[in-house]
Amino acid sequence: MLSIIYCSRKDGCSVNTALHNMNPSVKFIAVTVCMFTLAFYFNPWTPLFVWIGVLALQLLFSRIDWKLWILFMIPFFIMAFGYFWTTLVFAEDKSGPVVLSIWSFHITEVQLNHALSLSFRVLAFSGLSLLFALTTNPVSFILSLMQQMKLSPKIAYSILVGYQFLPVLKDEFVQIQQAHRLRGAAQEKNVFRRLMHMRKILLPMLAGAVRKAERAAFAMEARGFTGEKRNSFYKVIRVGKVDGYMVGLFMILLVVSCTSVFYIN
Amino acid sequence: MLKSWKLKEVVLMSLFSVVFGIVYLLFLHVGNIWAGFIGPIAYEWIFGIWFIVSIICMYIIRKPGAAVISETIAAAIEVLLGNAVGPRLILAGVIQGLGAEAAFAATRYKRFDLWVLMLAGVGASIFSFTYGYLLGGFTVFSTGYVLLMLGIRIVSGAVLAGIGGKVVVDGLLATGSLRGYAITRTKKGEASA
Repeated sequence: MLSIIYCSRKDGCSVNTALHNMNPSVKFIAVTVCMFTLAFYFNPWTPLFVWIGVLALQLLFSRIDWKLWILFMIPFFIMAFGYFWTTLVFAEDKSGPVVLSIWSFHITEVQLNHALSLSFRVLAFSGLSLLFALTTNPVSFILSLMQQMKLSPKIAYSILVGYQFLPVLKDEFVQIQQAHRLRGAAQEKNVFRRLMHMRKILLPMLAGAVRKAERAAFAMEARGFTGEKRNSFYKVIRVGKVDGYMVGLFMILLVVSCTSVFYIN
Repeated sequence: MLKSWKLKEVVLMSLFSVVFGIVYLLFLHVGNIWAGFIGPIAYEWIFGIWFIVSIICMYIIRKPGAAVISETIAAAIEVLLGNAVGPRLILAGVIQGLGAEAAFAATRYKRFDLWVLMLAGVGASIFSFTYGYLLGGFTVFSTGYVLLMLGIRIVSGAVLAGIGGKVVVDGLLATGSLRGYAITRTKKGEASA
């Protein structure tokens, strides 16, 4: 789907913006560092600022389909709401002054802060993830992992093989379903029985996957693929100046958000 | 470590990851909607499904590292397929894989019966829960609630990943398509891989 997300912009795939031009591995590290830093903060402001900052970065340095962005964010808004009320109900720390009372249920300031913090954290995480997903070419990402992060070529190219097989496997999924229907296997109405029915589709798909894997591996080896580490590549993914600038921006955003507690209170 | 791996085994893990990547995405969307209503505990019931690839691949290939590498590949492919959970999924995959790997390593990669597979599911549950505890900020929840979540996840790991993985592979073995992999060789009584 990512390739579909990634290419679904009106102007095609050759977008020349800072976020699109960033080295995928560097972007990956920047996004991951932001996420792990957020894990240490339990005030509502830090994740909120990161989320807003990420939106700003995306507005300024990339051209993406915002309709698609909203579509992908909707489930996370729902999820953030789930975190919000669970944290309120099942909070560990119930100290601090009561700020809100619903019937006999009292919500303290600490509880509310934690709940807001976790919900905003969900939003910040998904904002960061979407920033990565919407501006990264999947194939370049794997190639970059191999060239900059020393991922073994054996694994890297195997992942790319799997990725290329996705449309084939999707077609096969539909074919198996149609074959079942042709032979009179009724579609299950019950959700649970439908999940059990998945096994009947899963097994032929996996059996097909085994055969395809063997054939693909044989074809690769027949063309001289050894999986050895190499120094020269056909498609080179570089680390450039733009990576330095963007990492700088990410770090500024992180520092501003993490210190926000001090000047807000 | 990768020297002893045949290319077809690595490609097999990758293709399995694609098949399960589709399954994972379905579950993730179901989980997301559900999580809105009953909170993060919604994922715990179905969490086992995320460990199934590592258990299936280890059960078939039976080489040290099969659980970690397959789960990592699965996570990478999930990211490629367009997952809004994003890049941190790759790290989660490594950690889940390590949990499953730990169980197999504890038996020195000699036993692959149902109990060990279930233990691998439990191992993956515990490892992934620790990771989720830190990153998801579960520290703010009360201890009872956290233990409930952990308990459900362990059951889910043992049942969905352990038993489910065995059922899937045994079905696959019956189709005869796994000839040439360690699982078939050991079933015939030849030297184990």
